[in-house]
Amino acid sequence: MLSKHAAVAVVIVLCAAAWQPASAARVDPLGTWSCVVWGHPDFGDERVLMSFAPQGVARLARIENVAVPSWSGLTPWITESRELRFGDPRTGRQYTADLRRENLGGTWRTLTATGGWWCAESDVEVIPESAEDRVRALPPVLPLVSATPRYPIQAIREAKQGRVVTCFLVDAAGLVVKPEIIELSDEVFREPILVALSRSRFEPRKSDSLRPSCRSYTFSLDRLAQHEIEFD
Amino acid sequence: MVRLVACGIVSYLALGVALGQRSSIPELTQQQADSRTVLGVANEYLAAGAEALRLKEYDEGIRLTKLGLERPASPRDKSAALSNLCAAHAAINQPDAAIGYCTESLAINDANWRAYSNRAYAYYLKRMFDEADADLDVALTLNPSAKQMPQIRGMMNERRLRGRVTVEEHQ
Repeated sequence: MLSKHAAVAVVIVLCAAAWQPASAARVDPLGTWSCVVWGHPDFGDERVLMSFAPQGVARLARIENVAVPSWSGLTPWITESRELRFGDPRTGRQYTADLRRENLGGTWRTLTATGGWWCAESDVEVIPESAEDRVRALPPVLPLVSATPRYPIQAIREAKQGRVVTCFLVDAAGLVVKPEIIELSDEVFREPILVALSRSRFEPRKSDSLRPSCRSYTFSLDRLAQHEIEFD
Repeated sequence: MVRLVACGIVSYLALGVALGQRSSIPELTQQQADSRTVLGVANEYLAAGAEALRLKEYDEGIRLTKLGLERPASPRDKSAALSNLCAAHAAINQPDAAIGYCTESLAINDANWRAYSNRAYAYYLKRMFDEADADLDVALTLNPSAKQMPQIRGMMNERRLRGRVTVEEHQ
């Protein structure tokens, strides 16, 4: 009888240890982050450094733009309901991040545009002066093998089109780490995206630091002309 | 002896017969909105033909149903029987004959959603997708909850749509 109670108690303890509230924050934004910011129709993607210090101090450094020599101030960062928020007064972008994710990143919006951002912890503290040194400090993540996801047959049957945005980190060997779906128009597209990501490879790098990267996938359907339709 | 006979004749299995040859398409159930069960047999040949078709004995089913149609039957049963002939001919890949029977069926009862659905499948076999779409739309209006129409439309979409995935890297 006692052993039965003991077993129940062990199970309860294990369950309690394994259980975490769904709303628990996983990411502590404090520190310096190497980030990719994407989605601007004119400017394209940017690689930036973001830094979050105590008392809401936030700053950002662009690496491609030598005209911006170093850190520029962001609006004070705040967290509310496990969401990180701050703004970039220079571009008007309002950034948000769901801190319940495994990694720092999220979306940004202006009055007319939206996009996303994704970061990896960085050890860069001092922004190099020259553009070459900056590129060297934050090298782009170059794809070696970019596997294309299959179009799910169920989606074709149901004439579903959609869009998926996924962000992830790339390790020194060029493998995808911690992929997360940022935008998913329909659940049917999730599995092929994750399979494709697992088959993708990036250029390896000597540094141990992880690098952030994102990919957008657009699933679209073309209607075949009558003569193109094949039957068994 | 009182026998329970699925009547209305067989309309319940009409498309099941047509689609039963395709292993990718699940066999349809009898739990359809207009499946009917009555006491007694109005026309033995039509009932036997329906049973043969349910067992995928298409030639025998067609023979018996045609015999049944030579005997008295209510317009509703006649319409269902013609719809079954349509489904059977579609199942043995004779879409032209199938379309003829479905059209005859609809001339008798234009609210027979199975006849529209069966004819849509026959049009699909002939790659006449626009005509099939039109029939599917009507069938769906008559019975929005039937499984057959999304199945046929799915089969058409598999043929006529080509998926394209565009990848954009954000670096």
